[in-house]
Amino acid sequence: MKRWLLLVLLAPAAQACELPGGPAQSIQSANVAIAYRTAPLRVGEHFAVEFAVCPAPASVTVDAWMPDHRHGMNYKPTIASLGGGRYRAEGLMFHMPGRWEFVFDVRAGGRTERLLKSVRIE
Amino acid sequence: MRFLLALLLAVATQAAAFTDAEVRAIASHGPWPPAFRADPSNRVSGNPQAIDLGERLFFERRLSADGEQSCSRCHLPERNWTDGEQRARGIALVDRNTPSLSNVRLQRWFGWDGAHDSLWSQAIRPILDAKEMGSSAARVAQLLREDADLSCRYRKAFGAPAGSDEKVLVDAVKAIAAFQETMMSGRSAFDDFRDALVKGDKAGVAKYPETARRGLALFIGKGSCNTCHVGSAFTNGEFHDTGIPFFIEPGRVDPGRSGGIKKLLADRFNLLGPYNDDPKRTTATSTRHVVPEHRNFGEFKVPSLRNLALTAPYMHNGRLATLRDVVDHYSNISPDRLHSDGEAILKPLKLSAGESRDLVAFLESLQDEGANYRRVGFAQDCK
Repeated sequence: MKRWLLLVLLAPAAQACELPGGPAQSIQSANVAIAYRTAPLRVGEHFAVEFAVCPAPASVTVDAWMPDHRHGMNYKPTIASLGGGRYRAEGLMFHMPGRWEFVFDVRAGGRTERLLKSVRIE
Repeated sequence: MRFLLALLLAVATQAAAFTDAEVRAIASHGPWPPAFRADPSNRVSGNPQAIDLGERLFFERRLSADGEQSCSRCHLPERNWTDGEQRARGIALVDRNTPSLSNVRLQRWFGWDGAHDSLWSQAIRPILDAKEMGSSAARVAQLLREDADLSCRYRKAFGAPAGSDEKVLVDAVKAIAAFQETMMSGRSAFDDFRDALVKGDKAGVAKYPETARRGLALFIGKGSCNTCHVGSAFTNGEFHDTGIPFFIEPGRVDPGRSGGIKKLLADRFNLLGPYNDDPKRTTATSTRHVVPEHRNFGEFKVPSLRNLALTAPYMHNGRLATLRDVVDHYSNISPDRLHSDGEAILKPLKLSAGESRDLVAFLESLQDEGANYRRVGFAQDCK
């Protein structure tokens, strides 16, 4: 599982992915690319994630956890599709400072691919 | 002599030095006090007439079933709005320690288990709880309709006491909440140090006691206390298992946050319900997204550390008598006693006796300087 995940993380992007409206972070694998944007992250404050998935998937979820602490968030985000592979997730909160990891599970072509992005919050 | 002075100065400068990352960590605990922001779920938040009514209701014993209880019976101003008892006692002995109300308006969740999502809805529970004030909506509404002075003050804040007893009860707790929002602690020695450090004011920095400075270094370093005690209020407002036993008595356990989430979601007074005065529900995001997890069992809210020295005994059940006991608890904590589904946050700090004293000195430096509450204006009649 870990080796498969590493391959996904290191593999070249299938295609570029754009999120209109300003600068965005990107994550990519051999099959999927994600561009996402948040407001500045602050400990203990709810935030939303706007993101685009390329190519547009059948479905997608977003979550986050602290690998060093081995726990996730205390809140479950809701995701609204904006059409054309764009989404807005609301209700996330990083309740501790430190390293968090966004977890995007992208469902397409009958399989689920997991893409991770590490972020640090002070 | 000159050499000795230079040496002492060098030692003092070295002791005062924090890395850039440490300065950022320290700066994150301020500035203090924060600006007032009205609670949109409470239409009388910040309203002087409501604060006046709420102050009177906070000290009003006629709200209780036996005429002896009031909010102030357990939340004493001179004890930083707590009571000094291990467990609260109203009409009967309560299961938990009385939490301080100091800076309570900054919280996201209310009560040790976070069973309430607004300050006003939290105030309903002790009024109705059979062990605390044992009252009813009818009793509260009757007092506000029939007592000439309280009725006058209610009209000034809300208009005529119209509608159901429950609606009048909700108005009453919104007035109490408006008063509780004024319970803010003042500036502490730490705040002066923090501001001086941010400004690069060496003379201001030097005024902070060396023991407290060493304790602060432990707080943000070896102790990692600032993992949960974050921000200017020194709390992330969330819930953790800290290894305190959750047996109330043999055969009876306190489920903590696990029970709190169930109560919250079943509570018709929560922010998703009809009594939220904000049609946009802007402060209901946490309620909308909170999810029960197995690990919530035995979790309790992370308390603010401001004015901590005034609020002994400590923890949700008042089990630890002194600040030193609290520090010793985290110094010697057994990971085996944690009930946290594999979380890896707490580990024994193994502090030396000197380190423990320093950490206590830092915690004591979070106490404000004489900003105690004074009751005023109660002799005036309402016209």
